[in-house]
Amino acid sequence: MSKDRLLEVLERWEPVIGLEIHTELTSTRTKMFCGCEVAFGGEPNTRVCPVCLGMPGALPVPNQYAIEQTVLAGLATECTIAPHSLFHRKQYFYPDMPKDYQISQYDQPFCEDGQILVEVDGGGVAQRLDVADGTGVTPAEDGSYTARIGITRIHLEEDTGKMVHVGGSEGRLAGATKSLVDFNRAGTPLIELVSEPDIRTPEEARRFAQKLRLIWLSLGISDCSMEEGSMRVDGNISLRKRGTVEFGVKAEVKNMNSFKSLHDALVYEILRQAELLDSGGTVVQETRHWDVGAKRTSALRSKEAAHDYRYFPEPDMTPFEFSEEFIDGIRQRLPELPDAKKIRFMATWGLPVHDATVLTSDLEMAEFFEAAVTIGGAERAKPIANLMLNDLAAHLNAAGISVTASKVVPAMVDELVALVEEGTISGKQAKDVFTEMAETGDAPGAIVEIRGLKQVSDTGAIEAVVDRIIAENPDKVEGYRSGRTGLMGFFVGQVMREMGGQANPAVVNEVLGRRLSS
Amino acid sequence: MALSESEVRHVAMLARLALSETQVETLRVELNSILGHIDTIQQLDLADVPPTAHAIPVVNETRPDVPRPGLSREAALLNAPEKEAGAFLIPQMTGGGDES
Repeated sequence: MSKDRLLEVLERWEPVIGLEIHTELTSTRTKMFCGCEVAFGGEPNTRVCPVCLGMPGALPVPNQYAIEQTVLAGLATECTIAPHSLFHRKQYFYPDMPKDYQISQYDQPFCEDGQILVEVDGGGVAQRLDVADGTGVTPAEDGSYTARIGITRIHLEEDTGKMVHVGGSEGRLAGATKSLVDFNRAGTPLIELVSEPDIRTPEEARRFAQKLRLIWLSLGISDCSMEEGSMRVDGNISLRKRGTVEFGVKAEVKNMNSFKSLHDALVYEILRQAELLDSGGTVVQETRHWDVGAKRTSALRSKEAAHDYRYFPEPDMTPFEFSEEFIDGIRQRLPELPDAKKIRFMATWGLPVHDATVLTSDLEMAEFFEAAVTIGGAERAKPIANLMLNDLAAHLNAAGISVTASKVVPAMVDELVALVEEGTISGKQAKDVFTEMAETGDAPGAIVEIRGLKQVSDTGAIEAVVDRIIAENPDKVEGYRSGRTGLMGFFVGQVMREMGGQANPAVVNEVLGRRLSS
Repeated sequence: MALSESEVRHVAMLARLALSETQVETLRVELNSILGHIDTIQQLDLADVPPTAHAIPVVNETRPDVPRPGLSREAALLNAPEKEAGAFLIPQMTGGGDES
């Protein structure tokens, strides 16, 4: 659609993008300040108590594990963990928040000053016009580049309840006459990560959010489901004349419920703001809502007064002092992070950077790969990776399932690779065997037996067929010997057809070459 | 530092309080008297005193991540002015929200 128009606009205008990413800590058993269970869905108002219903006199007490998970998130993103921190009250009125204030953090959050490295490759590289300058990004030889995106802070707060609007269309506020409020989600531990305005393209924004999700999943702090709203991305975007330093007026974009929406909404905003600015207009600082169906953003009804949250320290809780020992103890829990895993896949298993990148961008695929190569050994790593990135990935994509839901298990992939390696079946036969094993869950060896797919590598049997074909086609043999070497394909085809496609192609080629040249 | 009448009205609006004219004046006087105490404190040299978030010197009060029974839905909704389908039923909303 607007791809060319985007690149044309980017010549003149440089986007400045910062993201705010909320993630529910779905790994905790209980809510942030009370003992109600954390879960998704369920009958309304069945996981509530006086604390999360905001009843007077209830005493909120912070969840120790949620705090530890937040510190873990900070360490994984290279943040400094604050030695002194505390919760604040943020005052505003909305019926999904029964206390009329949200317990959050203000000027002393748990984590500050981190960073994430974001790699951009493929078509999205074109959006970044200054890759070659090497300013701010590190270009790689294969045309990709790495951008460092700063993290301002990560703080811990409580999620709100959920509202269903009745009388309007599709649960939206417009046209609604009444609303139903369910407080099951109210009080769920929620971390908010705020990035620096270091992002320069919609593709970088998407990669940043994907990388962050992968890190959070590696830590196991959240299920990061964008569909169920346990991970929510908002963006701030402004444009400035390319080559200038000062930021333009920004708009905030909400309701970007998928990585694609995030990318597309930012592209839309760049085009919208550029059109305004090009025609001598100005951007209004406002919050805009991404409508995924209409593929556009629109301004939300503006509020009567500017926000005045009147933050003050939460008097119901004590402040926090984290010792070095405490922080080091959490650091011990850090698992292998995506960047380290990718480097290890390249070093240990000899994978090229592309294979390592794709396999480690999905935790389940990475685990599957390691299980398969642990059985088969490092020398099978590349063919196993090939099979996973081609046949397996295509199968999962077509079936719309994750690898753990598939009938294919690591041992089957290794066995299939071994069958090709030993010459029992050809690479082409392997594709058919894969299709069948993905459907049935049968072991590849058994499929080969039952289907009689075994490749014939017996030189004697192949020689017999080759000799017959040569005898039946004297003119072609003459042609070949007089220099028309392209006829080799004809002979191979004849032999393969004669043998029902089961002859080992390497042996056929070898025998034909020997017989025809003699 | 003295609070003006319009500042009192602004704070009342933020707290969604409907004040009568008399109340605005009464509160202006009372709030200014409280701010007077703060002015007194500010005359001291407090450069080396960290902001005090809590009056007692206790830190790191938390609870373990262990579920506890809450309220039954019936009890939770007992005092709701209106309810429907197990949820609190509230009038139509305009603007705001989505703050977190």
